[in-house]
Amino acid sequence: MSRVLVPIEVLEGKTVPPGLMSLLGTMDVTVLGYHVLPEQTPPDQARHQYEERATAALEDLTEEFADAGGAADHRLVFTHDREQTVRRVAAETDAAAFAIAGMTGDVDDLLVSLSGDVDLDRITEFVIDLVDDRDIAVTLLLAGESDEASSDRLATAAIRLREAGIETDTSTATGSPFDALLDAVPGHDAIVIGEAAPSLRSLVFGDEAKRVAAASVGPVLVVRRDEASEATEP
Amino acid sequence: MSSEPTGTNIEGEAPDSEPVVETDEATITDDAELERTLGLAGGLAIGIGTMIGAGIFVFPGLAGAEVGTAATVSFGIGGVIALLVALPTSELATAMPKSGGGYYFISRGLGTLAGTIIGLSLWIGLVFATAFYLVGLGFYALDALALLGITVGVSPGAVVSAIAVVAGIGFTVLNVTGTENAATLQNGIVALLLSMLVAFLAFGMADAVGLVDAGTPPGEAQNVWAIGPIMSVAALVFTSYLGFAQVATVAGEMKSPGRNLPLAMIGSVLIVMMLYVLTIFVATSVFTQDALAAAGETAMVEIGRALLGTPGALVIVIGGLLATMSSANASILSTSRAIYGVSKDALLPGWASRINLKYGTPHVALGLAGGPVIVLAATRQVQLLAEVASFLHLIMYGLICVALIAIRRDEPAWYDPDFVVPGGPAIPAAGALASFGLIAFMNPLSIGVGIAVSAATAGWYFYYARDIGLKGAL
Repeated sequence: MSRVLVPIEVLEGKTVPPGLMSLLGTMDVTVLGYHVLPEQTPPDQARHQYEERATAALEDLTEEFADAGGAADHRLVFTHDREQTVRRVAAETDAAAFAIAGMTGDVDDLLVSLSGDVDLDRITEFVIDLVDDRDIAVTLLLAGESDEASSDRLATAAIRLREAGIETDTSTATGSPFDALLDAVPGHDAIVIGEAAPSLRSLVFGDEAKRVAAASVGPVLVVRRDEASEATEP
Repeated sequence: MSSEPTGTNIEGEAPDSEPVVETDEATITDDAELERTLGLAGGLAIGIGTMIGAGIFVFPGLAGAEVGTAATVSFGIGGVIALLVALPTSELATAMPKSGGGYYFISRGLGTLAGTIIGLSLWIGLVFATAFYLVGLGFYALDALALLGITVGVSPGAVVSAIAVVAGIGFTVLNVTGTENAATLQNGIVALLLSMLVAFLAFGMADAVGLVDAGTPPGEAQNVWAIGPIMSVAALVFTSYLGFAQVATVAGEMKSPGRNLPLAMIGSVLIVMMLYVLTIFVATSVFTQDALAAAGETAMVEIGRALLGTPGALVIVIGGLLATMSSANASILSTSRAIYGVSKDALLPGWASRINLKYGTPHVALGLAGGPVIVLAATRQVQLLAEVASFLHLIMYGLICVALIAIRRDEPAWYDPDFVVPGGPAIPAAGALASFGLIAFMNPLSIGVGIAVSAATAGWYFYYARDIGLKGAL
């Protein structure tokens, strides 16, 4: 099974919505409890004060994920830099994707963005693994310049999902991939995007993530790029 | 020899230690990981940012007034001593990349008594250094007001004190409540300062060697090429080099510590040494001793004015404000790290390292840093503050060198530094001798205050922590 990393700001009282837990029931999950410290505070100092409370909260969460289906474990990190921590732990656990938690009930409709320079194979594989044999409908979204090559990519991806028995729609849009994604959000419960699509990169961290979260309310799963093949690609 | 700390303090608290695994990216304990987030640039910014305020913006007038151009040698000697200590510190830091810096190495290498004296003296030494930077800031703020055409009334001295105290309170409060990422700001300030200084010095050098004539007054400073006065000035200006070891107080947060710690410590000493020597050369070429003495703490502003007119003075005033601020702020941060290192080993009560629930900052330690700073800053005793700070740091530097020799001899199983000082015991031995030797050239009053502080910390050890064993522990 693929692994999904679920970063959670564990001491801020953040929790994982039940909808995301059941959506990830087909996956192995690593709950990454993190606590971001101002630079005045050495991480070790925070560990002394907060470790027990954080570990207790993480153990509860991990148990809930395990009850929802897949194998689950947890890591606890004290850091000055959230992004660096998420990337490091994602690489170390070889996670296929990481989650940005958002509120959702049961997930019936999944929006999958293929816009931009994303690794199509990894995204389709991930979606197939994620949906498994559940009754979840998928909308594939492709925004940006429409040409033959890109509509081919969209069609190929749709065929592979349908072959896997997943109910699949396709949708295209022109203009900014980000706006197109936001426009397509209504009617879907969760979003899957690829990491490092140029116009979506800042979406993972930074203000746009908040905009997507605010617009969609639902959780976002970010499929990681294959770092090993990255080096060989031009 | 055990590899765990032993014993408890008078309140029954034991040193807090857990086996950890260090990687280049994180420190891994049983249940948690501590991310390493500082890169080489961040480390250099801490080192340079702490050091640069004093050496360039406060001392040229004071040092040039004493010995003229010979002060370049004083700064050079200070730099060489700093290097002799930076090398052993680097070796120890790569073997023990943990918060606490010099205190940690000495307590592990030489035992709890030396550790307590140094740990607490480091705290107080940093307090003196911070107060010194704040007084420098006060003098620059006064000049800034003068440039803006605001003249202060009868007692400019009181205004300097007031500004230093307000700035001290401000930095402490900012550090307790501020959660914005000040590291980026600090890096930016250091980069800006360096480029301003390089441009200014390039022009000053051209004037000094006669390539351009900015119409500066003739007459170089009267030079005193005698070993005694040169060494005595070196002892005074050594405060300009307090800062490279502060890099070791954040060793636990440095990425790839085996590579970045030595580069940051040695690199920052080399960079500031070059800048200091050039600055002093320019300063003493432009002004006579009398003029430097008259201009005092902010002589650099007059030098900027002589070279480039009012814009030159403005550049130096802004630079001086930025540099003294960055030094003061970086030192307050290091102080709180130093207190944490000592408190973790139960040499201070555990509450000293509590973290504020609202802001997530170590408010007690920051208060223990900022409180005494404010009192000392009000005294306005630039020379005394600088020398006591140097005294307390020099004791630590000397003992770091001794600790290196001791640890190499004892060879604990865990001792495996990535960076090894070449030449066997020669460099640490020279570093120790030079550090202790420099103290002899200080003003007797400064030595007296320094010894009193050390004696008080030793007294604290016998009262509070004599049952704790740290030697050889990890």
